[in-house]
Amino acid sequence: MWFFGKPISKKKVSHFEDLKEKWSQKHRVLQKQLWDKHGSVLKEFAEKTRHATLGSLAGIVLLTSPGISAASSIPQIPKDSQYADLGQTSTFLLNLNANVPQDVRPLTPEEEQKIGDVLSQSFGMKVSSELDGIKLNRSYGYIGQEQHLMRYPGDTMDTHLASQADVESYYKYGMAPGRGAWGYFANSSTSMTNQDINREKYYIAVQTFLAPGYLENTRQMSQFFKYRKMLVVNPQNGRAVVADIADSGPSEWTGKSLGGSPEVMNYLQRVDGAQKGAVLYFFIDDPNDTIPLGPVELKSS
Amino acid sequence: MKKHFYSHIVETESLVIALSDLNLSEQEKVHLIGIIDSSLQHAILDAVLSELSEKDKKEFLDQMSSEDNEKIWKFLNGKVENIEEKIKKVAKDLKEELHKDIKSVREK
Repeated sequence: MWFFGKPISKKKVSHFEDLKEKWSQKHRVLQKQLWDKHGSVLKEFAEKTRHATLGSLAGIVLLTSPGISAASSIPQIPKDSQYADLGQTSTFLLNLNANVPQDVRPLTPEEEQKIGDVLSQSFGMKVSSELDGIKLNRSYGYIGQEQHLMRYPGDTMDTHLASQADVESYYKYGMAPGRGAWGYFANSSTSMTNQDINREKYYIAVQTFLAPGYLENTRQMSQFFKYRKMLVVNPQNGRAVVADIADSGPSEWTGKSLGGSPEVMNYLQRVDGAQKGAVLYFFIDDPNDTIPLGPVELKSS
Repeated sequence: MKKHFYSHIVETESLVIALSDLNLSEQEKVHLIGIIDSSLQHAILDAVLSELSEKDKKEFLDQMSSEDNEKIWKFLNGKVENIEEKIKKVAKDLKEELHKDIKSVREK
């Protein structure tokens, strides 16, 4: 913009100021609407419970009583914030996404270190992008949908799922025609253990063949990857699964970096196709095999 | 976000993630998340109270102060048809507005 031949710099409004202004205005409207419609009962409730310790939602009624400015019911910027007053999942997502890049690309060693630290602390287990000197080609990438794997010779979709609920949720994904990269999980249905069942249920396929040094040390690295536990995290909702590597893939040309069993994908709320999303996948250091496979919750602080 | 009786049916993580993409300090994010949380509370409270009689509004507020979520849902399901869907709809509409706001400041 120009004024009398001189450029006028456009005033730059920060993201924060812009959103704060818009949202404070919206908040005032919502507040007014609530009190206009239900003022009498809210006032009565506020007077009745003035001296009580109230829960968060009930407390808002007092905070938004007429006569108290709208701004005072909006949380103020804390001085020593480490997301102390947020819920556990929000805190985790903020800490995590401060380090996860916006574009889906291989992480730098610094990013892997920082993200590994956040995950280790948040889930109470030691995770890292490298274990015993071995790492995958990447630790952040798009995940694709895999099919069920045959657990023993003769395993079919009719024998595979344990409950009617599982049939309804997972039958449609079908069985992969071939076996996993390390063959059957068990020799027969009668010798199959719970561990075998869970290894198939919560399996992932990773690009072992693209791991640095794989061609030179195929045998050693293949043994390392077999059923290796990994923490797989959807950075958009904080959901996480302890999975195991039970297959190799997908091909590089697919644009995907790993695949998840139907159960893994369902829990992470990830889908394949145009709406495919990225996950973080880090090795779990579990030498005594004490961490169970399956969904994992954030550690209580 | 703080836990509320409706937290299991109202997802807010997408807004937290969207804020992560903006140029904000930790304190600023916390402040904005606080506004989101409070705005959702107001909108949902308004939607619920609008479905109840004066007598039931008082009972609902009393139950809310006890934070017994099971009791709250039992009460609401007994009084209002499809209350879950109604709460989800209100939250969805507000969240969409907030997402649009985030998008517009990002594109400036």
